[in-house]
Amino acid sequence: MAAPEASPLHQFSIERIAEIHIGRLDLSYTNSSLLMTIAAVLITVLMVAATRNAALVPGRLQSLAEMLYDFVAKMVDDNVGEEGRQYFPFLFTLFMFILFGNLLGMIPYSFTFTSHIVVTFALAATVFIGVTLIGIARHGFHFLSLFVPHGVPKVLLLLLVPIELLSYCIRPFTLSVRLFANMVAGHTMLVIFAGFVAPLGIFFFAPIVMDAAFELLEFLVAVLQAYVFTILSCLYLRDAIHLH
Amino acid sequence: MTEPERPDPLAALGERLERARRAREGGRRAIEGGTDPSSRAAMGQGFRIGIELVVAVFFGVALGWAIDRWFGTRPWGLLVFLFLGIGAGMTNVYRVVKGLGMTVGYKGDGRGGSEPGKGERGKSGWDDDED
Repeated sequence: MAAPEASPLHQFSIERIAEIHIGRLDLSYTNSSLLMTIAAVLITVLMVAATRNAALVPGRLQSLAEMLYDFVAKMVDDNVGEEGRQYFPFLFTLFMFILFGNLLGMIPYSFTFTSHIVVTFALAATVFIGVTLIGIARHGFHFLSLFVPHGVPKVLLLLLVPIELLSYCIRPFTLSVRLFANMVAGHTMLVIFAGFVAPLGIFFFAPIVMDAAFELLEFLVAVLQAYVFTILSCLYLRDAIHLH
Repeated sequence: MTEPERPDPLAALGERLERARRAREGGRRAIEGGTDPSSRAAMGQGFRIGIELVVAVFFGVALGWAIDRWFGTRPWGLLVFLFLGIGAGMTNVYRVVKGLGMTVGYKGDGRGGSEPGKGERGKSGWDDDED
């Protein structure tokens, strides 16, 4: 499925670095896995290095780590509440992983692993299954009341409950498609504009200016999408914990 | 005797700060929004609604098609789930537009039921522009 070299979609092609086949499974280590490893290692190094020599007055690295921590902690507190604290480690990991994935993808010639629906869907499905299990564990059978709107005539429930159920099941799809589509669209657009530079002759600077502007926008999108993904996970979690 | 009218150095500084701040604000707008900051927010909202609607319909169709394949009930599964998908998509769009957040069900946020304030904050946090 490799796109030709000059195609704007070539940047998303998966390349095997080390072939690993177990049985009929293709578990090859790809450029996507490499970037994921780099992201995980970088996050670990950042957090460990920042907190190892923790000082009362934080240095540069420590304040960066503290800012990230505070940011997610506040998000969880505001959106889930006190009970959300126990899920903070997961949400923080999720945020950092997506954030680093998006930002590492901004490095020229690197690879954006969040631009693959498989990756984003796996993340979204984890959130979805986890949230559903938490809801069932906390409320048992009563969890199903989430799908029954209040104050609706009994006849309409026949129609509304399936719709509610479906809109609940759609969550992992919208969650993953949003991140995936944003990353693919942004990165493709950058390459398309870059492709105009040579053909435009003396007007070569126009697409360059556009690209520079979009590059800034892409950084914004990279951070924003990590934020959106995490805050939506928080909102889903709140649903499952409080059931309104 | 009071000093004669002398320009207050702090006032002058405040004015300069204000000017610098405004210039920075303008620059940031130009970078982020192209032209109009509200148009970018609107675009983000539009993009989100698009995803919401399309994914819901697709999911409904896919589910209906799969059910038809498994149980051989063609074309009823597809028909029913197509319309359920459209319905779910529209409910989700309605929630986005109304600022109800992504909660399932109509209760909660709007009525200020069990968790006063929580819904409001969650909503405002989510409603940031996004694209």
